[in-house]
Amino acid sequence: MYNTEIRGPLILGNKSLGQITDDITSPLYARPKFWWLAGLGISSLMMLLGFWAIYVTISTGIGTWGVNNTVGWGWAIINFVWWIGIGHAGTAFSIFLLILRQEWRSSINRAAEAMTVVAVGCAALFPALHMGRIWNAFFILPYPNTRGPLWVNYNSPLFWDFIAISAYLLISASFWYLGMIPDFATIRDHAKSKVRKGVYGWLAMGWRGSVGEWKRYEGLSYILGGIAAVLVVSVHSIVSTDFAVSVEPGWHTTIFPPYFVVGAIFSGFAMVMTLMILLRKIYKLEDYITDRHMQNVAKILIFVSLIMGTAYLTEIFLAWYSGNRYEIFTFFHNRITGEFTVQFWIMFVCNAIIPQLMWFKKIRSNVLILFIISILINVGMWFERFNIVITSLAKDYLPSAWASYSPTFVEISVYLGTLGIFIFGVLLFFKYIPMIAISEVKAVNKYQIENRKSKGESKKN
Amino acid sequence: MGSAYILGVYAQEESLLAAFRKLKEEKIEIADVFMPFPVHEVLQNLGRKSRITIVGWFFGFFSALAVLAFLFYTAVIDWPLNYGGKPSNAFPSFLVVTIVLTIFSITILSLFTFSMRAGLWPGNEKPIFHERATDDSFVILLDKTKVDTERAIRIMKETGAIEITEKQTGQKA
Repeated sequence: MYNTEIRGPLILGNKSLGQITDDITSPLYARPKFWWLAGLGISSLMMLLGFWAIYVTISTGIGTWGVNNTVGWGWAIINFVWWIGIGHAGTAFSIFLLILRQEWRSSINRAAEAMTVVAVGCAALFPALHMGRIWNAFFILPYPNTRGPLWVNYNSPLFWDFIAISAYLLISASFWYLGMIPDFATIRDHAKSKVRKGVYGWLAMGWRGSVGEWKRYEGLSYILGGIAAVLVVSVHSIVSTDFAVSVEPGWHTTIFPPYFVVGAIFSGFAMVMTLMILLRKIYKLEDYITDRHMQNVAKILIFVSLIMGTAYLTEIFLAWYSGNRYEIFTFFHNRITGEFTVQFWIMFVCNAIIPQLMWFKKIRSNVLILFIISILINVGMWFERFNIVITSLAKDYLPSAWASYSPTFVEISVYLGTLGIFIFGVLLFFKYIPMIAISEVKAVNKYQIENRKSKGESKKN
Repeated sequence: MGSAYILGVYAQEESLLAAFRKLKEEKIEIADVFMPFPVHEVLQNLGRKSRITIVGWFFGFFSALAVLAFLFYTAVIDWPLNYGGKPSNAFPSFLVVTIVLTIFSITILSLFTFSMRAGLWPGNEKPIFHERATDDSFVILLDKTKVDTERAIRIMKETGAIEITEKQTGQKA
């Protein structure tokens, strides 16, 4: 293996193996703190509001939303794409970095994957509700039915979307769970209380860390990792084809798949950073999630932000260069100027300009500023989806069909509800699941000790 | 019918590896090794095989064929529908569905295979030989009926085992 001494240790404080177990599992044994319970309470209220809104949507109909004939896709689709984007981080993080053998992923991947699973769940809610008659949702499955049998249209991006999201939810949840099996076994053997031993023992499914188990575990990790890497790229590409296959101005472009995938990774990584900063601060895990981890994520964000900026400029340039008057109208008179100016510039500044501040080391090492930037990125990414969904639909070819769009209280409540689900899920994760992959961190820690030892000696590898 | 085992517990990876190499050298059969994280030298040299990656490839290959066959059957043979004059056998756009459903099937099938082969399923309880094997210790397990006990214990002591015990279990390891 290639060893470098320039980069310094991944985990600080010369931890022993036992210490790592104690450090990471201690929040699980501690009594819940006030802020945790308060957070749970607030997020439950948000969920309650969300469930009410979902009830209204289902029992009364989509008419309770602000969408109309012209702007048929409103907040539901904006938020769907937004959540799916956030949900890309976990897999992008753990899988791309697993395949690239980036050891620093070990402290972060668990939380990123947890976030992914919750976010994809939130995302899946929106298209389901947007179907209108959710009790007929199973029509999208190709099953031998009594209507012919009439099979579904395999050429439709909406069908691709459905299977892509389902597959993504399944694979990210199983990858996440697989990684947790050894850690559940650790808690089973480490915890004192009978209840914990029982519950985590059940979840650990009899794991003991034997050779046969580890071998198959690693094999399966690489299988799932390899195919999920394909999925990370394809899920958001497929989401983008929902737009790109249509003939709306501003949507019908070949740049969409990469543009969406990069945007998804961008917002996902920003969310990872938000969460990590909170996590290391609250649970004092700075030895595991070090400043260097933060800097690495910041550097990725700078790079991805550059790609985002390039994508925005490419879109604008091509609108002008194509000479297509509808494209020119959409970009120059409906986004950069016009009714949606504010939303466009929030998107542009938050995604393409503010992250560039992280070029400065002073800013990159200031955790508070990083936290603010990471939140601004997700605000910007929300407005990006707003720009894409609303501006193109509101004013397309026929001025007589132009309409505007504003969300109703029910729509906003559904969104607040999913935020509640997300916060609720993340809080449960903080309390009941080891936030850092214990076994992986141990392996990384060991590698460092070896590295330190071999200093001065001739390198064996 | 139980079996008797000898356990050698090590606190460090280095001493585990020393013992592992020594036991191998002396041709003492190691029943299993329990580790809190995968030590690759042990994984590679214990002589256990895992074919899960190969199996995974076949899962992928056959599910891709199955999905394509299904799409072809439903969209071309069983009930061809005219979608805007496009050909029923729209192979390029079938590929999207094929790729994603193949991934879906590989995931499910290899999870089940893993669960069966590694003996991991909800509620399964296997004998736990040492509580710290998932925490901070490495455990070498020897089958008492198959090894020269005294020699094995001597080697374990020499290589720095922090604890050597015997254990009876109801089940095989």
